[in-house]
Order: sequence, then structure tokens, then C-alpha cells
Amino acid sequence: MIRSVASTVVDFLGALRAVHPAPAPAGGGLASGLNLRGRLPPLLPLLLTSLLAGCAASTIVIDGDYPSPLVGKLPLTVGVYYSDELRNFSYTEINDNTGDDEYIVQGGASQLELFNTLLPALFAKVVELPSPEAADAGVDAVFVPSIAEFQLGLPQKTKLKVYEIWMKYNMKLSNPNGEYIADWVMTAYGKAPQENLQTVDAGVQGAAVVAMRDLAASFTLGFKDVPEVNEWLKANNVALE
Amino acid sequence: MHRLLPVLCLLLLTACTTTEIDEFRQATTSISDGESIVILGRRQNNNYETEGNFVECVANVVQNGENGIRVVPEREFLDAMFPFFEPRTAPMRTSHLKQLMEVDQAKQRLAEYGIEYIVWLDGLTRRSESSGTMSCTIGPGGGGCFGFGTWTDDSNFEAEVWDLDTLESVGSISTDATGQSYMPAVVVPIPLIARVEANACSGLGNQLKQFIGGNPESGT
Repeated sequence: MIRSVASTVVDFLGALRAVHPAPAPAGGGLASGLNLRGRLPPLLPLLLTSLLAGCAASTIVIDGDYPSPLVGKLPLTVGVYYSDELRNFSYTEINDNTGDDEYIVQGGASQLELFNTLLPALFAKVVELPSPEAADAGVDAVFVPSIAEFQLGLPQKTKLKVYEIWMKYNMKLSNPNGEYIADWVMTAYGKAPQENLQTVDAGVQGAAVVAMRDLAASFTLGFKDVPEVNEWLKANNVALE
Repeated sequence: MHRLLPVLCLLLLTACTTTEIDEFRQATTSISDGESIVILGRRQNNNYETEGNFVECVANVVQNGENGIRVVPEREFLDAMFPFFEPRTAPMRTSHLKQLMEVDQAKQRLAEYGIEYIVWLDGLTRRSESSGTMSCTIGPGGGGCFGFGTWTDDSNFEAEVWDLDTLESVGSISTDATGQSYMPAVVVPIPLIARVEANACSGLGNQLKQFIGGNPESGT
């Protein structure tokens, strides 16, 4: 798009030059001095593109790999459903001064990577479902994670020397027939220190990975302690260590 | 010689770093071949977190040179022990370590790594007393800077050593390094940087090596 805008501007300038040809400067001028005469139009789109690129929002794609938790598996088959909102999760940070989009954080793929590493370590079998209603009789429970809130703290705004990410998740566990088992909220926090010559991308990536590891740690160690989950596990004769 | 004197004086100023190391020992320590340690940074504090680079630097000092001790890399250990040593779940006291050792998987993994001691590093480097001004200009004929800047760095770190046999703290080592850096600029800025954090790392690492190795000469 930026390229097409730049081309349009070049075309406009070209048309303008045809109507009002500029007088040749005495002594050749800058174009002649730098030997740019005749090469200016090809360079112009590049110049404009680089100038306009400064106005566009930067996209940060969260890319992390997560370790498998060191815990015993629960003897359960769990179906997991990832909604489109989670799969395509993205957060837009607005520039406070201009009101324009400043950074777009895309984290859907990384969320799936996290849950696909976490859940098989916690449960004997995990099956991905195309919809929450698609669970068959072999599934003990259906798990649906979602992100309810996402906050990004940038050093240039918070005046702290750290990048921070805070996320609120909503976790739902239900029977294969859709009956409620548990519905609970989890928060995750991650920070990464601001370093010299570090890009915003690297800082946000660092904070996001820490936050998602934080969620995985809390989920792993706290799953059996969620009161409704605990009751359900006991009712299903699942041994709790 | 007289012309070189100002340069020599400026270079001497870079050495103005003071490092103080204190050791507190609560029990005897020793480590044999095949055993290892892990050095971890504390990251639960809201205001700061122990820098990964500093942890790596201390680990390099401990495992290299004479009487080097095998150190398991921090990232490898955190991944292998996940989720027990994350900022929100890491044991803060030895009583928490005792609870962790009741988890079979965790106990077994620590044994697989042959870890004898866990060293917790906590601290940061603060910059203060910054003063001076510098201005730089650039023009068709060239550019240059003129001015003078100075600042003080203060590194404070503490290493607490936990024994995985007794599940008790066996002592701690603290380091306090302070140094002033200068940046005079006459056309070209000349950074005269005090290596404060590097000195803190070197001092702490070497003392830690002696402490864990059970060297009776260690201590203040």
C-alpha cells in the first residue's frame, strides 16, 4: 500500500514537472553535483517508502517455545477447543499522542504452542476439537481457554526500565455434553529488562514469553486446586497427590 | 613523556573501581568431580530483576580457571525443572526447597543433573551522580563533540548458597563494587568506563569458587 502511495506521488510529481518544467540551476545544482539527474525518479519511491514506513504500525509476532512441565499426568482424556479469537489473538497498542496504531502484537500461534505443550504433559490424552460440542463419549472433559484482557507496558510510556505484559485468561472446563464443571480466571505477568540497543520487538518478545511461562507454571501447579476442578476430580476417582 | 602524562592520568582514572566482598559461612562445603552447581538469578522483585548477563558472567568465572566447578546453564536448568523455578514459583526459603524435594519428579531431575548446590544471585547495578554536558555537531565539513560527562555505577549483589544434601543454607557472599566513569570529548568522545559490574562479577565468582570448593583460605 505504501508503495502504491509512493508511486502515486511520483506520478503526480512527474505530471507537475511536465506542466511546469523547472529551470536548470546555474552550475548544475544539487542533482547535477551529485550526478543524480535522470536517476531521481527511480530513487524517489524508495525515499518516500522509507519515510512513510515510519508512520506504519510495527507488527510484533510472539514466537516462543515452552518446556514441558515436570509433573505426573492425570489419567484423563481432555478435549480442547481453541476459538478463532485465541487462534488469531492480536493486541494493538495505540500511540497516546497521535491516536494511531503504534504496535500490533500477534500472539495467537504462540498461545496454541503453549497449550499444545502444556496440556499433553498434564493429561493422559488430549484431543483438539473443531467445536466445543464436538466431543465424543471417550472425552472426560472439554477445556476452552480464552484471553479476556491484555496489557502492554512499554518503557517509553511507563518510564520504567522494563517491558511488561499482563494477561487475564478465562478457563472453562465442561462435560462432553456441555454441562459446567468449572470456570475460572487466571492472570499471567512477565517482564523483561530494557537493554541498550534493544529493539521494542525483542523487549516485548521477552516479556511475552515470561508471561506465558508464568501462566503455564500457575496452570500446572494450580489446576487441581481450583475448587470445582478438585471436586470433579474427586468425583471421578482421580488420585490427587 | 610530558605529552603522554595527561593520557596516562586519564587511563589511571579508569581503574577507580572499589570492590568489597563479604562472606558469611554457616556450614562446611565441598564438591567432587561429577557433581555440579547451578547459579540462578532472583526475578521475583517488582522493581528490578537480576540480569541474566550477570548470572552468566558469574557462572563463567566459577566454571573456568583453576579449581573450576561444573555449572549447569541457568536456562537449561529452568527448562528442565519447569515449572518449579519460575519467578512466581521458585522456592524463596529452604523450607520451600524441602517441600519441593517431596515432589518425586523434581527430586529425580535434580539428582540426574548431579546438582550439589543451588546459588541464588540477587542484586543490580545502579547509576547515579550523572553530571556534565556534551554537545555534538555535524556539518558539511565534518563533525565533532565537545564537553565532559561523568557518572557513578554501584553494583550490589548477594549470592546465597543452598546445600541440596542438608536442604539448608550454607552461607552467603555479598559484593559491593563502586566506580566512576568519565567521558571527555574534544572533537572525539573518549569513554573512560569503570568496569564496575565486571569487577563485581569477577570478585563474586572467584569467592564463590573458593567457598563451594571448601577452600579454608576463603572468607573475609
